[in-house]
Amino acid sequence: MRALGRPSTTIPLLLSLILIPLTLGMTFWWTPEDIDQGLSQKIFYLHVPIALASYAAFGYGAVCAALYLWKRTDDWDLRSYVGVHSGTIFGTLVLLTGPIWAKASWGVWWNWGDKQLNVFLILFLYYCAYFMLRFSLDEGERRRAASAVFVLLGVGLIPLSFLAVRIAETLIHPSVFTTTGAAMPSSFLLTFLVGLAGMLSLMALLMAIELRGKRAALRVLELQRRARGEDA
Amino acid sequence: MIRPALAIARVKLVLELRRREVLFAMLLFIAATIVIVHFALSGAGAGGERAAAGMLWAAVVFTAVLGLLRTFAAESEDGALDALLLAPIDRAAIWFGAALAQLGFLIVVEVIAVPVWWLLFFQHGGPRILPLVGALVLADVGIALVGTLAAALALGARTRDVLLPVLVLPLLIPLVLAGVTATYGAFGEESDVLRPLGFLALYDLVFAALAWGTSEHLLGD
Repeated sequence: MRALGRPSTTIPLLLSLILIPLTLGMTFWWTPEDIDQGLSQKIFYLHVPIALASYAAFGYGAVCAALYLWKRTDDWDLRSYVGVHSGTIFGTLVLLTGPIWAKASWGVWWNWGDKQLNVFLILFLYYCAYFMLRFSLDEGERRRAASAVFVLLGVGLIPLSFLAVRIAETLIHPSVFTTTGAAMPSSFLLTFLVGLAGMLSLMALLMAIELRGKRAALRVLELQRRARGEDA
Repeated sequence: MIRPALAIARVKLVLELRRREVLFAMLLFIAATIVIVHFALSGAGAGGERAAAGMLWAAVVFTAVLGLLRTFAAESEDGALDALLLAPIDRAAIWFGAALAQLGFLIVVEVIAVPVWWLLFFQHGGPRILPLVGALVLADVGIALVGTLAAALALGARTRDVLLPVLVLPLLIPLVLAGVTATYGAFGEESDVLRPLGFLALYDLVFAALAWGTSEHLLGD
């Protein structure tokens, strides 16, 4: 199998080691406490960057899926899988941190009126199904193509879910929680951006490690086949 | 493209008329689902017309999934799929033909089931007919397109029958959301219906385009 370049782990590792502790420090010692929500609002600097990093990973997975269908290089399939896998792991974190925030600030674990939560739940269910599809097909061309097509359908599903939840809102949920305007102090924004950069570096690190592991596993299989005398 | 697709759809409908494998099962299933959802919600009290709308949409989606399980069954059992793949036709035509047949099944089932649903839940009044029918038809198109696509993906999987509902249902959530919204709107004023109906049309277009673009990779090699 031809590998497409070796992803760096050093740079994302260094960035995560600097940025994530920095975010935590800024969160607790620099940003002012939110007037409405108090301390519980601070989970925002963790929850939202994780969610955005998760979307970024799904996006990366979709780009690699499209490149696989176009170029038919196995490594793009592997990259696409790694993207969706990391996105789903971060998605699990989003669905864990979201209810904690919801409970602290709204008093409920889950708020069916919240657009972001609902869309995320739909996408999470969808990407979980990806693993079922992938692992019930036999390894080979057909599995790679089917996985890639499924990931690309997600590109349609993400905006359609947002739109559907928005349209349904008017009739199903009268809006309870109105978002306050963009009056975000600059310390909020800066902390959020540092947090986002930190989470993206962590995501890149995890993806690079997983990709290396998967490539090594494939290489071992190939060598074993060759050792048994079956020509690869 | 269109002619082979129509031919494939016709074969599927003729086979169904002879064997009667899917339609009766779908009819019994939709009836049982409506009854089950009704009793499951009976403790919820109020709800009334909104609960009835929800029941209809839940039943339609689950029944469609039941029908989808047999989409490529005949072809893969008789090895006819290999012959179809060898035929000098576009692969999109195979998918499109199967989707047309699926749309036909869904419409037949709804033509029988929806009036019964109406009689059971709306002795007086009820939703306006035109928006309801519009929403159902647009949703049927989407379900047939997306469902056949997922069935093609699951083809050749070891656990195909378990896999298919897991693949299809998350894709159909936005469609159900818009369908239910349109039905709620059909109880009220005119303006509430247009946006969800427009959304359903957009959903059909987006997935038709995505399926079209990827169809050559869909069915096995």
